[in-house]
Amino acid sequence: MSEFSEDLSVVLAQKRYERISEIIGSTVKKDGGSVRTYTDMLDRVFLNKYLGIPIFLTLLWVMFQFSFTVSEPFVVLVEKLFEFLSHLVEQNVTDPYLTSFISTGVIGGLGSVLVFVPPIFALFLALSILEDSGYMARAAFVMDRFMYRLGLHGRSFIPLMIGFGCNVPAIMAARSLDNEKDRMITILVSPLMSCSARLPVYVLIAGAVFGSAQAGTAIFFIYALGIVLVVLAAQLFRKILFKGEQSPFVLELPTYAMPNAKSALLHMWMRGKMFLKKAGTIIFGTAIIVWFLSVHPWEATAGGQLIAESYIAWMGHALEPVFKPFGWDWMTAVALLFGIVAKEVVVGTYGVLLGVDEGTLGDSLVANGMFTPLTGLAFMAFVLIYVPCFAVLATIVRETNSLRWPAFEVIFQVALAFLVSGLIIGVGRMMGMS
Amino acid sequence: MSTKTKDTGEQITAALIGNPNVGKTEIFNRLTGLSQRVGNFPGVTVEKKGGRFIHQGQVVDVVDLPGTYSLTAKALDELVARDFIVEEKPNVVVDIVDGTSLERNLYLTFLLMELDANLVIALNRWDLVKARKINVDLDRLSELLGAPIVATVATTGEGLEDLKSSIIKVAHDQKKSKAILDYGNDVEAGIKSISAVLNEKPDLLKRYPPRWLAIKLIERDERVLEKANSMFSGLQMAKILEVIGYE
Repeated sequence: MSEFSEDLSVVLAQKRYERISEIIGSTVKKDGGSVRTYTDMLDRVFLNKYLGIPIFLTLLWVMFQFSFTVSEPFVVLVEKLFEFLSHLVEQNVTDPYLTSFISTGVIGGLGSVLVFVPPIFALFLALSILEDSGYMARAAFVMDRFMYRLGLHGRSFIPLMIGFGCNVPAIMAARSLDNEKDRMITILVSPLMSCSARLPVYVLIAGAVFGSAQAGTAIFFIYALGIVLVVLAAQLFRKILFKGEQSPFVLELPTYAMPNAKSALLHMWMRGKMFLKKAGTIIFGTAIIVWFLSVHPWEATAGGQLIAESYIAWMGHALEPVFKPFGWDWMTAVALLFGIVAKEVVVGTYGVLLGVDEGTLGDSLVANGMFTPLTGLAFMAFVLIYVPCFAVLATIVRETNSLRWPAFEVIFQVALAFLVSGLIIGVGRMMGMS
Repeated sequence: MSTKTKDTGEQITAALIGNPNVGKTEIFNRLTGLSQRVGNFPGVTVEKKGGRFIHQGQVVDVVDLPGTYSLTAKALDELVARDFIVEEKPNVVVDIVDGTSLERNLYLTFLLMELDANLVIALNRWDLVKARKINVDLDRLSELLGAPIVATVATTGEGLEDLKSSIIKVAHDQKKSKAILDYGNDVEAGIKSISAVLNEKPDLLKRYPPRWLAIKLIERDERVLEKANSMFSGLQMAKILEVIGYE
């Protein structure tokens, strides 16, 4: 009789595999030397021990560059459309209240968000191509070694990548993790992945303070910051909240395939549609509220002309002291307040508050001296981190079946946002930036 | 069950199983055509697809099990597939393997052999196997695995008629010439001591394959441990736990 002190399932599995190689050795012969498939050849490069991670980061960077370059002409087109609409309203509508509503509320608020439809669709297209080609599974594999050490499960990687598109499906995709602790950690760190809703804010601010040449790099930095924070938070949660073993990682690596235009476009549309829907409902609604608060009391603001006398300015000034140390003014305070609903609203709020159309929104931010490169970068980081949007909170409630976790998430993220932005400002000032 | 009375009115159930991405769904569609119905496995939200085909006058019910790599109690999909085979005892289990990656796919085959299933192996992607100039000695492989092997190409339907014939043949032919994997002296001694305890419950052994129960206990499978706990006395359980070194 024998006693087994170790976990024998590993030994048994090993025995099975030994027998399998014996059987294959005696029944399978590969003629014609080694016929190497494309998949084998590509995997030699993409899954290389040293090249794997640099290649992944390069592809990520190319993906963002692609999203902005391809979408640029379309952005100009959308801008022109809203300019045209604005003119049309000014020439044909005489009632000042209605003009203000349409040109500031509707066109300023909604239009400034809709210009981001092209880059967001382009980003979704790039993500679809990466998925359809079979690379996404490789990216998960390459990152697993790294993720495991950092307290995340390899399978968390796909939900997190989806998080680049939107955090809501990312949190739902965490269901694929069998281990409850792994799943909870993935849910709680997912909102730190920079979703496409935050992109409009980055594009606006980075374009304004860094110029088009360096905006891409600044945005890439923010995305990278999101990833670093995901990793640090995961490690923290693993050590404090969810102590325990990680389960092993098994992942099917599909054969590489030429992405098919039809399915990539379909994928893009399915995901992009969600953004359009959100723009039409929650973002539009919030823009209208922002507009209302910015032109009332109607008399005091002289028909929406003196925004400094409006309710919203009052709210902004009440909040301003909190953000003053970061070099942000009351408009930013208001933008952040309404951004809790959905982060695109931050841009829409600026659109309403500054009363300019999308093409010149960035320029007026700079002209008003609202951001320096340093405070702008800190602001981008803040928008990345501070509170998940309403939709994400609702999803966390549903998926964790509790109110405690979403509450924890809000407190955690707000604290983290102040911490990180403060660090950026502090370090920047030490280096002599203003 | 008698093998000679080939009663065509008698129904056969065949369960399809295989790793993800081996073409299992395509084979299921080819086998069952328009007769499909979709439901859930009892009590869980795992989709259960069923259908049927008639071949040589024999009606065969086909159940599509979830695609899995192994049959542990840790993941819901695997547990559902395993429970179906253990509890419902389908007449035939069709193990669909990807001929281009046998190393990985045969692992599940070995687990199914342990489950004492009446196996038919469908070696799919046969066209790719040939295109890559991989030579597979099907007769020898079939002999070593103790189960008939049919080469198939799900995308074109090649080999599907042979597969149907094979399913019916295995269902009627109950002789079991199955391959048993030798786990080495230590483990085999463990299996023996556990089997001695298991023998005290003959009705349990009628329901579940004895060797499989012993192996699962050694692997400390949660479900099987639970079941053993509910059936055996404290003393018997202590013996089992002693063998598997459980504190």
